[in-house]
Amino acid sequence: METETIKEAKSFVDEVAAEPGGEKINECIQCGVCSGSCPTVEWWQYPPRKIIAMIRAGKRDMVLSSTSAFNCVTCYSCTVRCPRNINPTQLIHAVEAIAEREGYKPKTPTLTLHRGLRDAMMQGRVWELRLAMLFYLKTSLLEGMKMMRVAWDLISRGLMPLLPPKQTKKGGKEVTAILKAVEAMQKSGGAK
Amino acid sequence: MKQYTYFPGCAMGSTGKPIQASIDAVCEVLDIELIELEGWTCCGCPGESINELAATAIATRNLAIAEKFKLDMVTACSCCYRNLLAAHVTYTEDPRIREQVKKALAATNLEYNGTLRVRNLVDVFINDIGLDVIASKVQRKLTGMKVANYYGCHQTRPYGPDDHEFPVWQDQVSEALGAETVFFPLKAQCCGGTQLFSNKEMIYKLLYKILDNVEKHGGECISSTLCPLCFTNLDANQGRINNRNGEKFEMPVLALTQLMGIAFGLSPKEVGLNKNISPALKAVKPYLKSKVQEVVK
Repeated sequence: METETIKEAKSFVDEVAAEPGGEKINECIQCGVCSGSCPTVEWWQYPPRKIIAMIRAGKRDMVLSSTSAFNCVTCYSCTVRCPRNINPTQLIHAVEAIAEREGYKPKTPTLTLHRGLRDAMMQGRVWELRLAMLFYLKTSLLEGMKMMRVAWDLISRGLMPLLPPKQTKKGGKEVTAILKAVEAMQKSGGAK
Repeated sequence: MKQYTYFPGCAMGSTGKPIQASIDAVCEVLDIELIELEGWTCCGCPGESINELAATAIATRNLAIAEKFKLDMVTACSCCYRNLLAAHVTYTEDPRIREQVKKALAATNLEYNGTLRVRNLVDVFINDIGLDVIASKVQRKLTGMKVANYYGCHQTRPYGPDDHEFPVWQDQVSEALGAETVFFPLKAQCCGGTQLFSNKEMIYKLLYKILDNVEKHGGECISSTLCPLCFTNLDANQGRINNRNGEKFEMPVLALTQLMGIAFGLSPKEVGLNKNISPALKAVKPYLKSKVQEVVK
């Protein structure tokens, strides 16, 4: 007979495995090459190997409310070295995706940044100035002020356009249509 | 004349402007025609962390448009390169995602058949143009210039055809220009460009490690990958680290194509060097003078 703990663990592993990129979580052999390869690992409360172990142990709340996964800079160092080809980068993204979707609030501005980037993507082409301004309005104006020097270096050279990027109307419309279709699929539960 | 569809990516119109200028100039010299993909939109990279399916669907839209031209699609931005290639790989190898993406694309009457080749511009330089042709176009040999080639992540990881840990293609190109390449272990380490807004401490440390590593191994300038994110991060943020660690980095950062342009005899302005924030002109100045003398002779 299965105990509650085992059931809990199974359901969280299955949940991660159902996300794009999380499929191979059960093939991990806990060798730790991912943690050892990670350039930002010193900022992770739970390094990537540990996160995988925690997912398999059913520590759902601990994993999803931790800021750890949000320190992933998507450099794929772990992915090219993983001896089991489980793609830890995508697996960590799967954790981020679940945490974002389920409204967990890990204390990191990176979550706000990811949301901002996703919204910028939805505009068709990314307008950096808008992205940056919205990010600092939502997180910390003081931090935004500290970036003024760099911003000025870029703006004065014309490297951070003050106006939104030009794009074809058709492109923008098609992106909106595609994203609507994706959202509909995700809401109906058919896709992650 | 070699023809390709070209996917510039959003950042090439903003922070990547100097790189784009140099790409245009260098491709003209090398007889490469880059035909900008009409109606391209974001590659999907920004949404990848929290909505993989949406990112893949948007990337595949670009692939579907490019496929019609029956040419290889080239990008210079490493993030676009990786995400577009990732979308292609996922689409062709994962039936579950393929069905979902197909459904999403149906909203626009587009269809992707999985026949497109997505390539990086450096790959084109090495494998289609060739080092001998590049060397034959050199007018100002960069003899004695100690160049550290920085590759970043996505040009080689996880898909790039060059080595994942110690890539060599950019080094080969700079050697063809006559420069002396410097080996430094962090040549493909992440610069953290993606989280510059939200995780400054972490990013400054990554940047510091890279710049420090270049200096310790005798690099006098960085020839950066063509990714506008890496390039801007290295180019624009040195002042920020200087203030914090008491170090004084004044490392000239040039995009690989800027270096190529200078060696091909183009003016600094033609390759966008006047827009670099780091003292990039300083690195190429000695070679500019020699050119003038040659002309006088």
